[in-house]
Amino acid sequence: MANEKKYWKGFDQLANTPVAQKLAQNEFVEEIPVADFLGNQQMMESSQTSRRDFLKYVGFSTAAATLASCESPIVESIPYLIKPENLVPGVPNYYATSYTDGQDFASVLVKTREGRPIKIEPGDKGFFNSGTSARAQASVLSLYDSARLTGPRKGEESSSWSAVESALKQAATKAQEEGKTFVLLTGSVFSPSTKEVIDRVRSAYGNFVHVQYDAASISQKLDAWEALTGARALPSYDVHLANVIVSIGEDFLSGNNGQQLAAAYANRRKPGAEMSRHIQFETSLSMTGSNADKRVKLKPSEQGAALAHLYNKVTGSSVKVGTLSSDVRKSLDSAATELLAAKGASLVLAGGNNGANEHLAAAINAALGNMGTTVRPDRAVYILQGNDRSFANTVADMNAGRVGVLVAWGVNPVYSAPHSGFAQGVKKVDFSLALTDRWDETASVCSVAAPVPHYLESWNDFMPVAGTLTVSQPTITPLFDSKPAQEVLLALIGESTSYKEFLKGNISERGLSVNSVLHDGGAIIGQGNGTSSAAAGAKALAGVAAAADEAAKVKTGAFEIEFYQKAVGAGFQANNPWLHELPDAISRNTWDNYLTVSAADALAMGLINESQSNGAINGSLVKLTVKGRTLENVPVWIQPGQTAKTLGLAIGYGRTKAGKVADNVGVNAFALMSDGATSDVATIELMEGEHEFACTQLGNTMMGRKIVNETTLATFMADASGKSWNEKVEYHTMLGSVTANEASLWLDHDHETMHMWNMSIDLNNCIGCGACVVACSIENNVPVVGKEEVRRSRDMAWLRIDRYYSSDMTEERADAENIGGIEMYASMEVPAESPQVVFQPVMCQHCNHAPCETVCPVVATTHSMEGLNHMTYNRCIGTRYCANNCPYKVRRFNWFNYQANEQFADVNPAQDDLGRMVLNPDVVVRSRGVMEKCSLCIQRIQYAKLEAKKKGSKMEDNAFTTACAQACSTGAFTFGDVNNKDSQIAAVKKEARAYHLLEEVGTQPSVFYQTKVRNQA
Amino acid sequence: MHYESPVREPLVIGDKTYHDITRDVARPIETTAPKMWWIAFSIAMAMFLWGVGGILWTIANGIGSWGLNKTVGWAWDITNFVWWVGIGHAGTLISAVLLLFRQKWRMSINRSAEAMTIFSVIQAALFPVIHMGRVWLAYFVLPIPNQFGSLWVNFNSPLLWDVFALSTYLSVSTVFWYVGLIPDFAMIRDRAVNPIQKHIYKILSFGWGGKVKHWQRFEEVSLVLAGLATPLVLSVHTIVSMDFATSVIPGWHTTIFPPYFVAGAIFSGFAMVQTLLIITRKLFNLEDYITIQHIEMMNIIIMLTGSIVGVAYITELFIAWYSGVEYEQYAFLNRATGPYWWAYWSMMTCNVFSPQFMWSKKLRTNLIFTFIISIVVNIGMWFERFVIIVTSLHRDYLPSSWSMFSPTAVDIAFFLGSIGFFFVLFLLYARTFPVIAQAELKTILKSSGEKHKKHHSDDNHGHH
Repeated sequence: MANEKKYWKGFDQLANTPVAQKLAQNEFVEEIPVADFLGNQQMMESSQTSRRDFLKYVGFSTAAATLASCESPIVESIPYLIKPENLVPGVPNYYATSYTDGQDFASVLVKTREGRPIKIEPGDKGFFNSGTSARAQASVLSLYDSARLTGPRKGEESSSWSAVESALKQAATKAQEEGKTFVLLTGSVFSPSTKEVIDRVRSAYGNFVHVQYDAASISQKLDAWEALTGARALPSYDVHLANVIVSIGEDFLSGNNGQQLAAAYANRRKPGAEMSRHIQFETSLSMTGSNADKRVKLKPSEQGAALAHLYNKVTGSSVKVGTLSSDVRKSLDSAATELLAAKGASLVLAGGNNGANEHLAAAINAALGNMGTTVRPDRAVYILQGNDRSFANTVADMNAGRVGVLVAWGVNPVYSAPHSGFAQGVKKVDFSLALTDRWDETASVCSVAAPVPHYLESWNDFMPVAGTLTVSQPTITPLFDSKPAQEVLLALIGESTSYKEFLKGNISERGLSVNSVLHDGGAIIGQGNGTSSAAAGAKALAGVAAAADEAAKVKTGAFEIEFYQKAVGAGFQANNPWLHELPDAISRNTWDNYLTVSAADALAMGLINESQSNGAINGSLVKLTVKGRTLENVPVWIQPGQTAKTLGLAIGYGRTKAGKVADNVGVNAFALMSDGATSDVATIELMEGEHEFACTQLGNTMMGRKIVNETTLATFMADASGKSWNEKVEYHTMLGSVTANEASLWLDHDHETMHMWNMSIDLNNCIGCGACVVACSIENNVPVVGKEEVRRSRDMAWLRIDRYYSSDMTEERADAENIGGIEMYASMEVPAESPQVVFQPVMCQHCNHAPCETVCPVVATTHSMEGLNHMTYNRCIGTRYCANNCPYKVRRFNWFNYQANEQFADVNPAQDDLGRMVLNPDVVVRSRGVMEKCSLCIQRIQYAKLEAKKKGSKMEDNAFTTACAQACSTGAFTFGDVNNKDSQIAAVKKEARAYHLLEEVGTQPSVFYQTKVRNQA
Repeated sequence: MHYESPVREPLVIGDKTYHDITRDVARPIETTAPKMWWIAFSIAMAMFLWGVGGILWTIANGIGSWGLNKTVGWAWDITNFVWWVGIGHAGTLISAVLLLFRQKWRMSINRSAEAMTIFSVIQAALFPVIHMGRVWLAYFVLPIPNQFGSLWVNFNSPLLWDVFALSTYLSVSTVFWYVGLIPDFAMIRDRAVNPIQKHIYKILSFGWGGKVKHWQRFEEVSLVLAGLATPLVLSVHTIVSMDFATSVIPGWHTTIFPPYFVAGAIFSGFAMVQTLLIITRKLFNLEDYITIQHIEMMNIIIMLTGSIVGVAYITELFIAWYSGVEYEQYAFLNRATGPYWWAYWSMMTCNVFSPQFMWSKKLRTNLIFTFIISIVVNIGMWFERFVIIVTSLHRDYLPSSWSMFSPTAVDIAFFLGSIGFFFVLFLLYARTFPVIAQAELKTILKSSGEKHKKHHSDDNHGHH
């Protein structure tokens, strides 16, 4: 019910007086003085708001209103409405997985940021191969390769997975009906679950054949071991148990035989009574040979004879020995003496891909009692299992039209076996499917090509070595429309399960779980493959005479060629610019392969390497012929340490369909190889023209300077204090004799209050592999600049590995022979024909009296309280004075805008959207015109400091390390806070071997080196 | 009036009156330009524009368009910088130091020498600015109070000293030069018939009235500025030399650099004055004012400073050997016998050997020979800087980083462009400014003029 109650404002309203009536009609109680206001001239003039102001205010408010109503630019980004578990922006996540790229295997940790993998780090709990090589480090960029195949395609047209799968099914059925074979051609398969899938396909299709084929084949070695042990696999080598290692041509530190032996090797290279002795007989100067205590030149054809001779010396028997020079014989004799003194704790390795040689090496090891100690056939390595005979038979079948279906998965024989007849054979196959990562040489001749995921996108399990299981897990959703090959095969036999589920099931059948295997880094399943080392040894000894006869049947010629591998390996990651920009361990060349020749042969044949006006080197071109097959325009590199009358050429180059980075870089050595032989007889002929090399190091010798301090083990053992072999520079001042570090005009920085970061680099441990260099480039977004810029000496590496050869000329010799200064220095520049080699990683030395800091006009480079030399990119104006004044020449200038300049579009990954995903968000990408250099991974230091602060505890010594130290599998780098007295770095700083590079300049670096000690008398 | 011995050669030749001097000096300004001037100007302008193209290309693409690399961070850029600064030294030396020493012969050459100084310092300043990787932030080198935080320049850096040294030198030289020009501009103003021209020179001459008080002030200011400018002659190149001397690079880290650089600078500066004046006196018929005696005097200075430079070179070699420092020894051995031996021996030939010809009176009074030597000296001095900068850097401490340098088309464009720019300025100057300090010169006409001297000696004969 409505209430009719009324309230009055006053009695006037109740009484309804005339005044109240009037007020009710007027809204305003008082008259508004409009007339007064507008009519009063004086008032108008005295007003503070003039007409002009009024118009200004109107104009402003109109403009403001208009602007406010305009739409602001929209940047589309999709926020996490529901934050994924374990994903905090700015905080990295690590995934344990296994790295494979077609020829390698390693247990790794993958660092991801906001869901994208950005860095490969060594597995902290890996059971096998847990270091990272340069290739493993670089492999993260191969994920973001824009040349990857994005979806199935039929010829030039795009296709779909359903079409591909139904076509495969039809073709397989048709082949079965027609009695033709169904061939699955793969690389080495060492995944138990994948093998299970293949077995199921085999039982579903009677005409199914699985062929394993390795581009860089060790098939004949595997044949030899198959004969000895029954297992088609190399034994694993326990290098850390070997007191004496004799390698006849095997580059075992490069990891190309599947095993990463560098860590175990370096473990025994610490100077002292336990230091191993390494003798290398080889053809081309390899990384392994560079690290040897004694290196002897040997032709590839002499390998067998050398092994046979060594066998005779070790056992006192007399198997057939081919021709050998007396020098080599003498060296072998002394090697045999050393081996005999280390029975059961020595190791003999044979290089190349030769069954007889491998048999001889096994026999020597057996005779020395190494079977079961340093050589472990029971722990066979399954990473390389390719069989060249099966491959050859398959290609013959293909050419004969007997193959109905060919599935080529992860192999590229059109490139890696161009003379096998594979390319012709594919055309005679009814249906060929390439399961590949890119539209490569083989994919483009197959009827259908379909993408398989990168290892960082896929599930798999591996048995790299007998008795060990590891798992790989995806770290990112597949970027493209790819499908695991295993799933394609499962679909073919009507199993619609995903490979992930299949794998999980397969692993749980073993009583394991995927999660626990990933967590533990692997799992031990059984005790090896049950092979008896003793039995293998006995068999090896029994067949030695036959092997020696076989080994003696070697072809010789005027020139012998040896095919080897560089960082690019067999070419699986050829489109990865980091691997091309990484200088070769020995020649320091980038973006190339080339024919290595000795200086004497070059002189005789008129082959030259000549410096141009800008320092860059041009080389002669030759026509190279092997077995009637010819490669033209092969560049020649004059290589100290190359055996006379031999040549070396790296495989993995000369791609034509790998992508814009790799295509037409170098020449294809596979075009000269046949039957998997890694050496052959060759002829060369000088051609017109020159090749332009991009070499990062133009001075090859130390010019008599104490840059790498070096001594022998005998000297080292005789004087523990180091006074005689690690002399400190002293200056005679008014205060008496003081060391270079004490003699200073400057006030010292405070080095006690806070952390004091120091780094020690052990020159005994550095083998020159370059994993640290790649790791540094990835961690710090170091730009790739391409061949042309490297050629202009503008490589951007923050960390480089200097390689020095010894020279025949020394100051002592010049004194003794009365040779003048000019002639002495001129001949010091020339490396010896059989040089000793040293490697020295050099990055910013973080001088505590830094020459760069004083000269910068704008204080862009400054000293920190923690012993670091900082670089402030924002402040840098690019005078380059700091770089000029750096005695170590570690500063790098951004000559161009590498991220946008079209000149670098083909090589710089930061130039496309996909490649940019690899950039480390913690490190700024430097602009054009600023200086940059090593920061000792300041982003890691800061992160670890914050973590410690959050925890409220002191930072632990092993809380973190720099990217280079982390990547180094031989432990050459030690990094830490010397103010932490318990730290490892504080301990190594006190070692007698420690010295500063160029100590006499008085820069007081935070980085120091440990003297190299060679195991020589 | 100052008395001068008749034995002394007259400084103004011929039967000159004050009016003759006025006419001769004003002639190039008041007449139209000869064809030769236009040809020279067109060539200089074309070179200048080419250089501008090179600079724009550099700024657009990056310093990578030059031939520098990770080891050789400076090459032609700083070579050209030091070369131009060095050339700039003769002007101030002639106008200030010789003024203090009351060397009257400077009067007919100081104007052009100083113009040369200013124009070459402008060229010099171009190089360190453009050589910056981020030239748009060049103002970071100035100690400007800013809001970037506690950012300030680094007073330890010789490059910063350069900024101050160069800007001081440029400003003091310009003021000194301009003060000297005021009475001469007034003379042109008074003679001008074209009203626009008259108006311009009126402004330029600052209302000069020629009163005694004006002259008194003029003399005082000249003396004060000469006093200010004299230490600059020594300081600028001393500071430039410290860019190198304070570093740790063998071949740069040398205490002999300051005097050695100053001597070299005067050496090259006088050579450039010779080059310019031998052409100018011919083109503008000023042989009576810039006489063979002037040329000879300057040749003697070239010979003297060239010898000082030569001694410095040899001292460097001796000290390198005597120091016992292997890096230092190698640096100098490498200069003379390494891949850049040709640059070293070009330097030695041009700077040490060629000036020794000036011991012969016949040669040092020969115009053609002087002209050739003046150019040879400047080529030599360019090589000296190239040798110091490039051969020291290209092979320093660690052989692993050794490298070489080769210029690109942009390097060449920038260098030739600066020469073009210099001549554009100089040629414009020669048509619009009085190229001889006529007011000053008139003060010695009655003491050192040929006519007066002849007259005076006749009187003597008559009376004694």
